[in-house]
Amino acid sequence: MKSRILLAAPLLFAAFGLSACKKSAEPVKPVEAFGAYDTEADWNDSTKLVNLGYQEAQGKRIFYQYCVWCHADATPAGPSNRSNLTPVPPLLNDGDKLNGESDEFMRNIITLGGSALGKSAMMPPYGKTLSAGEIQAVIAFTRAIAQPPYQKPGRPGSQYTAK
Amino acid sequence: MPAEDMGKLTYRMRLTFAVATVICVLMLAISPVKDFRAEWKKYKRSFVRFAQGRPDTKKLLADYSPNIDQVWIPGMNVVDRCTTCHQGMTQLSLADTSVPQPFRAHPPIPHNVREWGCTICHRGQGPATEIAEAHETTLAWEQPILPAHFLQASCGSCHHADLNETPQVTRGRELLSRLNCQACHKLNDLERPMLGPELSSVGYKVSREWIYKWLKEPRTVLDKDGNVTVNGYENGDESRMPKFRLKDEEIVALTAFLSAQKAKPLESYKINPAVVAAWSKKPDLLPQGELRFRQMMCSTCHPLAVTRAGETKLIGGDIGPELTKVGSKVNEPWLVTWLRNPQVYLAHNNMPRYGWTDEDLYKVSQYVMNQLTDSDLLSTVPKLEAATQDEIKNGKRLFLEKGCASCHSIAGVTPQKDFGPDLTALGAKNASELEFGKAKITHNLLSYIQAKLQDPVSVNPVSRMPQYTWNPADLDAVTTALLSQTGPKATSALQHLTVPKVEASYRAVGDFAEVYERYKCYACHRFNGYGGTLAPDLSFEGSRAQKKWIAEFLKNPQTIRPTLILRMPQFNMTDKEVNTVAEYLALAVQKPEVNPQSVDARQFTPALVSMGKQLYEVKYQCQSCHTIGGTGGYVGPNLNNAGNWLTPSWTEAWLRNPQSLQPDTIEPRRNFTEDEIRALTAYLMTLKAAIKPQTSTSAANARLAGQGAGR
Repeated sequence: MKSRILLAAPLLFAAFGLSACKKSAEPVKPVEAFGAYDTEADWNDSTKLVNLGYQEAQGKRIFYQYCVWCHADATPAGPSNRSNLTPVPPLLNDGDKLNGESDEFMRNIITLGGSALGKSAMMPPYGKTLSAGEIQAVIAFTRAIAQPPYQKPGRPGSQYTAK
Repeated sequence: MPAEDMGKLTYRMRLTFAVATVICVLMLAISPVKDFRAEWKKYKRSFVRFAQGRPDTKKLLADYSPNIDQVWIPGMNVVDRCTTCHQGMTQLSLADTSVPQPFRAHPPIPHNVREWGCTICHRGQGPATEIAEAHETTLAWEQPILPAHFLQASCGSCHHADLNETPQVTRGRELLSRLNCQACHKLNDLERPMLGPELSSVGYKVSREWIYKWLKEPRTVLDKDGNVTVNGYENGDESRMPKFRLKDEEIVALTAFLSAQKAKPLESYKINPAVVAAWSKKPDLLPQGELRFRQMMCSTCHPLAVTRAGETKLIGGDIGPELTKVGSKVNEPWLVTWLRNPQVYLAHNNMPRYGWTDEDLYKVSQYVMNQLTDSDLLSTVPKLEAATQDEIKNGKRLFLEKGCASCHSIAGVTPQKDFGPDLTALGAKNASELEFGKAKITHNLLSYIQAKLQDPVSVNPVSRMPQYTWNPADLDAVTTALLSQTGPKATSALQHLTVPKVEASYRAVGDFAEVYERYKCYACHRFNGYGGTLAPDLSFEGSRAQKKWIAEFLKNPQTIRPTLILRMPQFNMTDKEVNTVAEYLALAVQKPEVNPQSVDARQFTPALVSMGKQLYEVKYQCQSCHTIGGTGGYVGPNLNNAGNWLTPSWTEAWLRNPQSLQPDTIEPRRNFTEDEIRALTAYLMTLKAAIKPQTSTSAANARLAGQGAGR
């Protein structure tokens, strides 16, 4: 009698353990509408989840407040001031002109203005108006929208994937 | 069992024990094996391999441990194990997008990730250690991660005051307020209800046929394909009246009820018959009316549809209703009375009371009634017989049942309280608390909100919510704002973190209060944080502008920003009113730090002026943004009349630090020396060329035609 109980106990235990081992029965539904974490490829596709990162999005906001008036051909308030200026300021997404400039140059010309770097004095300094972080954000936005696309200097990014 | 066998182990028993032992050992092994094969451990090992392939391996692996990492903040209910897999979170060298997830660094944000954890912003399940459980909705955990596109909702759930950094949630709140959602729903932090027009006397204003058309389809402007478009417009403006799903007989009953609303007899204004007789024969009556309509800058508040190159656009401001077909809506006696004094019909409204001459009133009303019309507007309306008492009774019931009474007040009709559900905690709801009906959508909060906004009956067939038309950006903005409505926080620690919205208040006093109310200055201008944002903030106008200039500007408003088409209307103020406003602005609304008397313009020498001119033109090249004479840029205001307009002390303070006077101004703060500031001020004070009043039709036309509807 006792031996039967002794035998039954570990068997029950085992059955219980095996059932716990099985994956939860309910399959997890992916969020299709917004292309959330479906596959690994999605995680690495920055355009799929969000077009601009936080910093770039802040750069865009600052661009549309301060820079758009001279560095774009159309502004939220109608015509642009760009055609008024000589030399004509580069468009912010002009990769041919801006991709060659280092981040340091970009930071300096925004912070100190054109005349400090021997460029047109019409570019005013924003070092006392924008914080270093805001200026960095504008540069990040410039890089993100560059046409042709901006390539970071140095060796190309690692092809390593997480799996 | 025989007694002698007691205490001896039989073979059978030994076998049983052996099997049981093996099973037990195997069972005990399950847990370590499962643990070894855990998803997060794969990422742990993967990160080591990844780091070994990077030049800064040592730095990357400095904090590495093979165990679960977590951010634990007891006071905030945060137990976030996200950093177990997202191991490069704080590594600056992994910020590049070429770094594969989950190892990429977090972009720089104003909060420290270690102090706040992850789920406060991103939602999802912090304690989970599997991808699916952490990021997605499962049966046990119902808060999926918030897609990055809607992430600003999390900023908004603590920052009740609007932030520059979160335009999407700010726009969403603006729309919730503008579309008057709080008339039916309870919502956190929304501006006071801005109700739809009172309808107590609407029977005097519009015909029953027009009401029928309006209830059937509130949008009246069609695009070139004959479609109703509200989204393609440049300024994104749309009718605030949503579409209710009404049956034809319901519309008939409602029109019967509404057209019978004649609570306050309209004391219509009679234009002097001599003026009518003189003008009605003139062939240029309508062009003259249009000219006055434009000169008075009605378009600053009211948009008109303009079709150019096959594209229909609304051009003008969005404070008042769109007027393209208003001549087919209202009747002439009502229009004349309304224009002359809007308060006769509606006690509370945003329309200024212009000082009209009978001549202007006649010209403009004739223009509106004859040109701003559409003969086809009411062609689809069926013939409506005289309203019966039954229809009127029925209409009154529907007016309450459909929720009309929540936005439109009618004397003697008491709206139902809390008509729609309380939404103050919508953003924190779990999927199980929502009704999805038969809608084929993912069962989570985000999909629910979007489906409900786009088509309320898709998730609830008996929904009373009307149909709105959204463009994709606005839909996402409203969704974000609703997701940010997470109600009061559970823990006191989090409540403490909430940034409250500051309620701005301003009260005009004395004689000024009367003028302020008559011309509705607050509809466009802001005083100490209260009022519209269309026109300049006047909180410090007394420090900025000279009194004489203010008085002249009020009589003949001229734009100082040439690219703007929305301008200050010409109110035809009396001299007394002009003086009242100028006195008040010059004396009562000042920046304490800028005393207009502190700088004396007489001390400026010609040498100083010429130095200032040099600085302006050569060293700092201010002409890139400002116009003097006929040349220069048009980013900043025109400075032709700066000497008559600005006070010298304001100019100096502005050159020293523009943001200290107006925090959001785009003029950058420069490194001027005190001498340079003095010289530039001296030069600007010599610029005294008043702008000529603009009177010709062609100039007004050119301005309207040449530009878009920007601000």
